[in-house]
Amino acid sequence: MEQSELQDKIFAYLEKMKGKKKLKEKDIFKAIMAETGEDKATVKTALREMINVGRVMYSYGGGASSVEIPSEEYLKEKGLL
Amino acid sequence: MSGKHKTPMLDELEKGPFPSFITEIKKARNSSAMPEMADDELGQLEKSYNSKRGYWKHGGIVGVLGYGSGVIGRYSSLPDEYPGVAHFHTYRINQPSGFFYTSKALKEICDIWDKYGSGLTNMHGSTGDLVLLGTTTENLETLFAEYSSRGWDLGGSGSAMRTPSCCVGQARCEWAMIDTMDICNTVTQHFQDELHRPAYPYKIKNKISGCACDCVAAIARADISVIGTWKGDIQINQAEVKKYADSGMDIQSDVIDWCPTECMSFDGSSITIDNSQCNRCMHCITRMTKALKPGKERGASILVGSKAPIVVGSLLSWVIVPFMKMESPYEEYIELLENMIEWWDDNAKPRERIGELIEVKGMRPFLEAIGVDPQPQQVYEPRKDPFFFWSESDFA
Amino acid sequence: MALPERQTDIGPPDYRQFLPPVIEKNYGKWSHHEILTPGTMVHYAESGDKLFTVRVASPRLLATDSIRELCNFAEEYCDGYLRFTTRNNVEFLVSDESKLEPLVAALKEKGHMIGGIGPRVSNVIHTQGWVHCHSACTDASGLVKAIMDDLHEYFTTKALPNKVRLAVACCVNMCGAVHVSDIAVVAVHRKVPVINDDAVKKACEIPTTIASCPTSAIRPNPKEKSVTINEEKCMYCGNCFTVCPPIEIHNPEQDGVAIVVGGKIGSLRTDPKFSKLAIPFFYNEPPRWPKVVAAIRNILETYAKNAKKHERVGEWIERIGWEDFFKQTGIEFTFQHIDDFTFMRDTLRTSAAFKY
Ligand code: SF4
Ligand code: SF4
Ligand code: SF4
Ligand code: SF4
Repeated sequence: MEQSELQDKIFAYLEKMKGKKKLKEKDIFKAIMAETGEDKATVKTALREMINVGRVMYSYGGGASSVEIPSEEYLKEKGLL
Repeated sequence: MSGKHKTPMLDELEKGPFPSFITEIKKARNSSAMPEMADDELGQLEKSYNSKRGYWKHGGIVGVLGYGSGVIGRYSSLPDEYPGVAHFHTYRINQPSGFFYTSKALKEICDIWDKYGSGLTNMHGSTGDLVLLGTTTENLETLFAEYSSRGWDLGGSGSAMRTPSCCVGQARCEWAMIDTMDICNTVTQHFQDELHRPAYPYKIKNKISGCACDCVAAIARADISVIGTWKGDIQINQAEVKKYADSGMDIQSDVIDWCPTECMSFDGSSITIDNSQCNRCMHCITRMTKALKPGKERGASILVGSKAPIVVGSLLSWVIVPFMKMESPYEEYIELLENMIEWWDDNAKPRERIGELIEVKGMRPFLEAIGVDPQPQQVYEPRKDPFFFWSESDFA
Repeated sequence: MALPERQTDIGPPDYRQFLPPVIEKNYGKWSHHEILTPGTMVHYAESGDKLFTVRVASPRLLATDSIRELCNFAEEYCDGYLRFTTRNNVEFLVSDESKLEPLVAALKEKGHMIGGIGPRVSNVIHTQGWVHCHSACTDASGLVKAIMDDLHEYFTTKALPNKVRLAVACCVNMCGAVHVSDIAVVAVHRKVPVINDDAVKKACEIPTTIASCPTSAIRPNPKEKSVTINEEKCMYCGNCFTVCPPIEIHNPEQDGVAIVVGGKIGSLRTDPKFSKLAIPFFYNEPPRWPKVVAAIRNILETYAKNAKKHERVGEWIERIGWEDFFKQTGIEFTFQHIDDFTFMRDTLRTSAAFKY
């Protein structure tokens, strides 16, 4: 699968889960591996790239870290919007 | 600058011989490019001293691009009253092993911090990081560019490997059985990804002490605790024993009587040790270093599980590997670390520490997963009740 | 202005570049050390080289200008080399013996507190408090200042039977080493948290919040899409608040601090030990918490007077027995002292041999 397609799937999954469950990287790997049949390393690379460019981000709340879609405010402040 | 807030309560804490943190906060107003930060910190703190409550919100979501660790969001819950601390984020710099610095390096850190932060620091945070206290969201990327380009990376936070830390070890301590600073540095470098990108169920800490004195509190404050030790006979220099005696030390009452295993004796001129009974507690060696040196085979005990009381009570670390050689590049230790972490990462619920997971799952699955045999050194005593599990492999 | 290029995953700088030449040369080859004064010591290397250390107290919270001043001392007397200890003291590393006394004199002139080495009170491990943490129910720095102003002689001069390690934590998360300190202060809540249903509904995952409670005191409240707390089961740990901030645990009038004693980290003589409850509660009395300060002095001095040389606080108490500790210190024994949580079985007495 193309990297960009994989990343779109990751993004769609994050959108779907928004507000329902705080996702850890591991949860995302599991879901996307099941959906696409890709291996963990591939999904991880795709996700990490999205994090590096600010398409998704690490978040922290309730005493634990998670992965989320960034808010507009975050993107503005990083000069990405 | 002089402040805009009256702080009669806090001013009380400028009196007395111990160095005053209030004086420090006031001082930061003179050097920081944003003196209003330290000033409003003072104002808000004075309010806390009057009302007996804090005015900080739960950490918000801040960080530098690509990382999920190292910056902790802090916002005042009274931003209108104290705009200087509306944002007051923590920036954790990963400290060098052993907290050694040159003045040049520290001054460079200070100069950057005065430009983009409050001018306040913690030397150091509880985990070990050099903590910069109070900056704004918009300054974070700048700080990261300034510091990382000069060789200072961020430390850990959140559900990540936390910044490892160690005692001064062989840099200055004759009791260090292992090279704590090198181990700490090697582990830190090895786990950069796990430090900066919080992907674990919860935090995991690693601390390394060179001997049983445990100056870095590894046994109490690290999920994975490394404590230097030895095998073989304590090396006795009887001439030095005699010198201690001649200099007026009461060897019987200061050393022999405290030996927990009663394996030492002193006949008035020389010391005898039944090394088979010594539990390597370090008491005698710390009292008479010139006369007593640890045995020649050096290594470490690896203990696992300690944590503070949240949630179901504090734990001290448990002995897992009684003795392991610790020689650069520490492949055996790093492999063990990876195996332990992998088992925990695969099995733990969110916010469950490795010690708690072992309590829930039992020691056996943990030991089997990391390939360590059961050994009497791991327990104080065997179980008391006659209820125990058998698994298929026991019948093979 | 263009920013310098950021680098990622480089880790901390290599410590070797910060070591003074005498350490580089004698790394791993130290022979022994002597404590010269409560704040100075000398390490001898096998080669015969000597390294002098001068230790001064720091409030941990330091302004950049104070760090610069410390650096200036280091430049003048130590070729720019200095370090910090795990207990937040500053150590000047003097290679040139002739500079030792001048450095000590210069530090004293500037009012620095020199000490903390050997059988004494060292600096107090502590946490952020109202200065910087959302979870704090006391101010750690203020307590440390008040306690150390009172005990300063035990840092600078007076000797004790052994080291006494103090700590202060501003909530039961205990970012410091409170659970294993000789004498420590920990801030505690005493009231069941108050739930803001509306905010809980918006901000919290209900299952996670329920799971966060160690005593299973939290139940769902489907009507409000929130939770309720069984007051009889709650022991005010505040974990629900950490996971779900709209569950307000703070109660400024009823929050305060407890004192715990007898913890020990090293394995010397006896095994490492947890700290145990000595005094369950004091109200917060900023700015100087006089009752807490007096209680710590009482415990410290009772220990100093009665412990044998080399005994840590916990070893002394184990020798005399806790019943005698309460008698000697005059501390009242209350219901709160009897464990009814995870350590109950281990702590109830099963012997008829005890003291009055
Ligand atoms: S833990 Fe042991 S080796 Fe390390 S500094 Fe302390 S006494 Fe020295
Ligand atoms: S190290 Fe401890 S147990 Fe061993 S001989 Fe010395 S005092 Fe005794
Ligand atoms: S002990 Fe509690 S209040 Fe204090 S700094 Fe740690 S989490 Fe915050
Ligand atoms: S404070 Fe602790 S015991 Fe009480 S309800 Fe919250 S999590 Fe449960």
